[in-house]
Amino acid sequence: MFTGNGVVSGHFLTGGAFKPHQGLEVNTSIQTENGQNFGTFPPYQGHIYTNASLPKVENNVITTTFKPAPQPVPPAALKLGQEGFKKVCRTEEHSPCPFPGLASGVLEMRVKEGSKIRNLMGFAMARMQGEKGLCVGGEGGLRQVVFTGSGRAVTKTITCAEIMKRKVGSLHQLTKLQYKVVKEVWENTEGGTSEMTVHRTVPSISILLSKDPLDSQEPGYQPPESLSALWEDRDEPATPSTFKRPPEPSLFSSLPHCKRVCSGEGVSVTPLLH
Amino acid sequence: MTEPRNSGMSSLPVKPSDNPCAVDIDPVEYTLRKRLPRKLPKRRNDVYVNMKTDFRAQLARCQKLLDGGSGHREICVHGLGLAINRAINIALQLQASSQGALQLAANTSTVELVDDLEPEDPDEAAEPMTRTRNNSAIHIKVFYPDPQ
Repeated sequence: MFTGNGVVSGHFLTGGAFKPHQGLEVNTSIQTENGQNFGTFPPYQGHIYTNASLPKVENNVITTTFKPAPQPVPPAALKLGQEGFKKVCRTEEHSPCPFPGLASGVLEMRVKEGSKIRNLMGFAMARMQGEKGLCVGGEGGLRQVVFTGSGRAVTKTITCAEIMKRKVGSLHQLTKLQYKVVKEVWENTEGGTSEMTVHRTVPSISILLSKDPLDSQEPGYQPPESLSALWEDRDEPATPSTFKRPPEPSLFSSLPHCKRVCSGEGVSVTPLLH
Repeated sequence: MTEPRNSGMSSLPVKPSDNPCAVDIDPVEYTLRKRLPRKLPKRRNDVYVNMKTDFRAQLARCQKLLDGGSGHREICVHGLGLAINRAINIALQLQASSQGALQLAANTSTVELVDDLEPEDPDEAAEPMTRTRNNSAIHIKVFYPDPQ
């Protein structure tokens, strides 16, 4: 999810190393078993341990229900993927929470880890820009779109939203973060005798893009093409040296150097002057 | 803000022909070197999350900024690229351990990253190229809401 595929071995729950171990597994989902932490940030993906109490900082709870018998937590590192559980892992989104306080009938783009951005943007742009030509909303009038993603798809979700903001200018944005519970079912390779259900809480993001102004007092609100609300008391950066750009207008003066809304396509970046 | 994963020389030969938007289809190989993002101004309550530092250490640092004698009322957690997930995790963890006293406000942005492409073979006399790409970044404000 976070850096892909690490395996943290040996520790139960507290699991000293939260560092991801790179390149151990190629499975998209993080292997967990029976009270062990695996994967990149296993504690913070909320594995529910049936036998453990929840530490106050860590959010890892995993319910693993074995058909044969619930086993005690083994001290050795057992990897789901290597214990013959590499087979069927069906992931289901558990309790998807709607975007808080959102009107219905809004296009919801669910970004998964394997989604192609090109496909997502093609569909979303068609819906958003198709409506633009109409004065009155066509089939419900697409003035808002929500991008949701969880786990490894969070970065892709943000990228999709940023691309859309760039192509369709002056969109109001509202971003919400929350945890989502994902239920996975792992089955045994041979014979399917044992089956495991893994509940994992993963961080998820929901980004609402709207042509209509949103409540600017809402936490997570971002006005179109302006980050000045966040960087109020920042010192004004010097003229950008790395990139060939005209001096930034005062609207962007408080922006930090490397965080800057890129408007327009391609290499040259010229902020839209309103 | 995170440094690119391999800043400095990375011995990864990159043929410009791999670049879909390459202007020249030059068979000369280039060495990819990622430029660091620009110098980051940093307020005292800014935390830039990266993938190199231990997660718990970054979480503890954020926690300390919020608590402590001179605890700030708000901190800002930044993450670039792959560290976005970690930044979100840190923010959600902070909120969870505060028993709901903290609120989150997330903003997203696009950051430009520049790669320097230098010719592998100095005899080739190919000019160093620059490739620009965009990356997503997130800025999460973790704050105690005003009691109103």
